[in-house]
Amino acid sequence: MSRLELIDLNKRFGEQVAVSDFSLTIDDGELVSFLGPSGCGKTTTLRMTAGFESPDSGMVMVDGKDVTDMPPNKRGMGMVFQGYALFPNMTAIENVEFGLAVRNEPVAERRARVAELLELFGLAHVGKSYPHQLSGGQQQRVALARAVAIKPGVLLLDEPLSAVDAKVREELRTEIRRMQVQLHITTILVTHDQSEALSISDRVIVMNRGAIEEVGTPTQIYAEPHSAFTARFVGAMNEIPVRVVSSRQGLVQRNGRSVTVVGADGLADGQLGLLLVRPEQLEPVGASNEALNGDLTLTGRVEIQTFLGATTRLLVRESPAAAGDALAKRLLAVDVPSANAGRWPTGSSLEVRIPASSSRVIADRTVDGEALDHSGVAVPIVPDLGV
Amino acid sequence: MSGTSITGKATEETLPAVMAGAASRRTRKRANRGPRVPLWAIVVFGVSAVYFLLPLYATAVFGFSTGKHFTLQPLWDGLADDGFHTSLQLSLTYSVVTTVLALVVVAPTAYLVELKFQRLRSTVEFLTLLPFVIPPIIMVVGLENMYGVDSPMNLIASSWAPVLLTGGYFILTLPFTFRAIDNALRAVDVRTLSEASASLGAGPVRTFLRVIVPSISVGLVSAALLAFTTAMGEFTLAALLGYPTFPVYLLNVNGFQPRMGEALVLVSFLITWAGVTALALVARKTPGTQVVRGALM
Repeated sequence: MSRLELIDLNKRFGEQVAVSDFSLTIDDGELVSFLGPSGCGKTTTLRMTAGFESPDSGMVMVDGKDVTDMPPNKRGMGMVFQGYALFPNMTAIENVEFGLAVRNEPVAERRARVAELLELFGLAHVGKSYPHQLSGGQQQRVALARAVAIKPGVLLLDEPLSAVDAKVREELRTEIRRMQVQLHITTILVTHDQSEALSISDRVIVMNRGAIEEVGTPTQIYAEPHSAFTARFVGAMNEIPVRVVSSRQGLVQRNGRSVTVVGADGLADGQLGLLLVRPEQLEPVGASNEALNGDLTLTGRVEIQTFLGATTRLLVRESPAAAGDALAKRLLAVDVPSANAGRWPTGSSLEVRIPASSSRVIADRTVDGEALDHSGVAVPIVPDLGV
Repeated sequence: MSGTSITGKATEETLPAVMAGAASRRTRKRANRGPRVPLWAIVVFGVSAVYFLLPLYATAVFGFSTGKHFTLQPLWDGLADDGFHTSLQLSLTYSVVTTVLALVVVAPTAYLVELKFQRLRSTVEFLTLLPFVIPPIIMVVGLENMYGVDSPMNLIASSWAPVLLTGGYFILTLPFTFRAIDNALRAVDVRTLSEASASLGAGPVRTFLRVIVPSISVGLVSAALLAFTTAMGEFTLAALLGYPTFPVYLLNVNGFQPRMGEALVLVSFLITWAGVTALALVARKTPGTQVVRGALM
C-alpha cells in the first residue's frame, strides 16, 4: 500500500562491507525480489528496511516520510521470517491476533478480522492449534496471516519458503502472489531461489557482494542480462568468446564468420566480447527445417546427456579441428526435447546453430575479480531443476 | 535408466527404503520385550534409594515414638509450639520474597544479555557463579563487616534488617536462578521471536511479558523452585546473622526436645517435597513449553 524508497544505504560489520550504496524505489503495490547468493547483502538490506539494523548511512522513506531512525515496532511493516517465528505458546488464532491486540483493537473486530484472514489462507479449521501441531506449510500461512493482519504499508519476506518442502513451495509462492495482489501490499521478497524470484515478482533486483548488480523485470533479467554475473547466476547461460568487428553495426566475428547481434554498442571495435545464449535457444543443425541464415555454428561431440524431464541437456565439446582460430575445447549446453534426445547419443558428433536473434554480446572483462574462465561454460553439469 | 542419462533419480523401491523397513521391524521387536534396563543401573538406583530413605526412616522411628512405642504425640506437640509457627512463617516469607525478587531481577537481565549484550555474557556468567565459590561463612563475615553493628551502614540492628537476609539469599540462589532461566532462553530463538513481536508493533515490555516469559516458563518454574527450596533450607546465613528462621529453630529444638524436633524435621521435609512436586507438575502441564523447538523450525 505504501511507496518505499531506500536511499544510498550502506552497512558494514567491522571490516566486512555488507551493503554498499543501495538505492531503490518500490512503488505502491509492487512485489520486488532481492535475489542473490548467500552473503550478497539482501537480508541485511531487508533488515535495515525493517529497522532491525541501522544503516551506517542512507535513508529509508515510507510514503515520503523518513523512518530511518524509527524503531521497528513503529514502522508499520509486516515481516515473515525464515523460520516463521510463530509464538509457540499461542494458538494460530492468537498468533494472528497478536498485532491487533497490541493496537488495542476491540475484541469483536479483532476476531472478525482474524476469522477473515484464516479463511483467506485456508486455515479456518486449524485456528485453535498450536504451532507445533501444524505442518510447515500451515505454519508459513499463519506467519503470513499474522504479518498481514495489521494492514501493513510494506510486507517484508525473508526467505519465507526455504524451510518448506519443494512441492509445497510452488503452491505457496503462488498463494503469496495472489494474496499480495489482492491486498495490494508493497512487498519485498528476499530469496536465493531464482525460480521463486522470476515467477512471482514485478521486478527482480539481482545483488552481488553488497551492491545491486542489475534491476529489471523477470523477463529482462532472464533474457537480456546486462552483466556476466546476472547471466551466470540466473539460469544456465552459454558464454562464447567473440571479437567485435563493428560496434555501430553490432557485428561480431568468430572463427571467420560474422553475425549481427544486440548489445555491442557498449563495446569498442576490436574488443573481445562474450556471446551469451541460453541452452534452450541453441539447436542442433538439422533439428528443424530452419535455414542457417548465416548464423554462427559450432561443431563438436556430445560428452554427456542430462535428463531434465521435458528437455534433455546435451553437453557438447567443440572439436579442436573445427575450432579454427577460436579458443579450443569450448563446451556448450544445448537443450533439446527429450523425445528427440536419442538422435544425439553420447559420443555422437553434431553441429550446433547459435541463432543471432537469441544472442547478445557483453564485454569480456574480469568478473568478481577473477579472469573469466574461457574453457568452461557457466552451467553445472547436473543443473538445478528449478529453472 | 539408459546408459546415456546420469541424473539417476531414486525411485521408491531402493536400498535406503528397504533398510528403513528393516530398522523399524527391529524396533518393534525391542518394544514388545520392554525397554532394556541394565543391571548396574538397577543396583545404583537401589543403593541410592537406601542411602536417601534410610535416614528418613530412622528420623521417623525416633520422632514418632516415646522411646517405647509408636505415637504421633511429638508431632502434635511440635505443631502446637509457638516457635514452630513463627519460625516457619519467617522462613516462608523470606523464601517467597527471595523467589519473587530472583524472577523479577534475573529474568529480564538474562533476556537482555541474550538479546543485546552478548559480549557481556561471560562476565555475567562468572559473576553468577561466584556464590558457588564463596562459602556462606565468608559471606557472613563480609556482610557483618559491611552492614554489621560496627560498620557505618548499620543494617543489622535497624528495621531494614530483613533486607540484609533477603539480599544474602538472592545472591546465594543466583547461580541456580540465572542458569535455569538462561538455559530456557537459549533453547528458544529469543532474537527472532522478539523481532517478530516488534514487527507487529509490540514494545519491549510487552514482548518480554507476552512472548518471552510464556516461552521460558519451564525455566522460570525451575528457577523459582530452586530459589524457594534453597532459601527454605538455608542455615548458615540465618543462624550467624541472628535471624530465627525455621532451620535455626529446628536445630535449637533438636537440642532441647529431640523427639519433637525430629518429627518437625520430617514435616519440613514433606513441605519442601510437596512444593517441589507441585511446581514440577505445573511445568509439565504448560502447553508449548516442551516443544518450543518444534514450533520454531
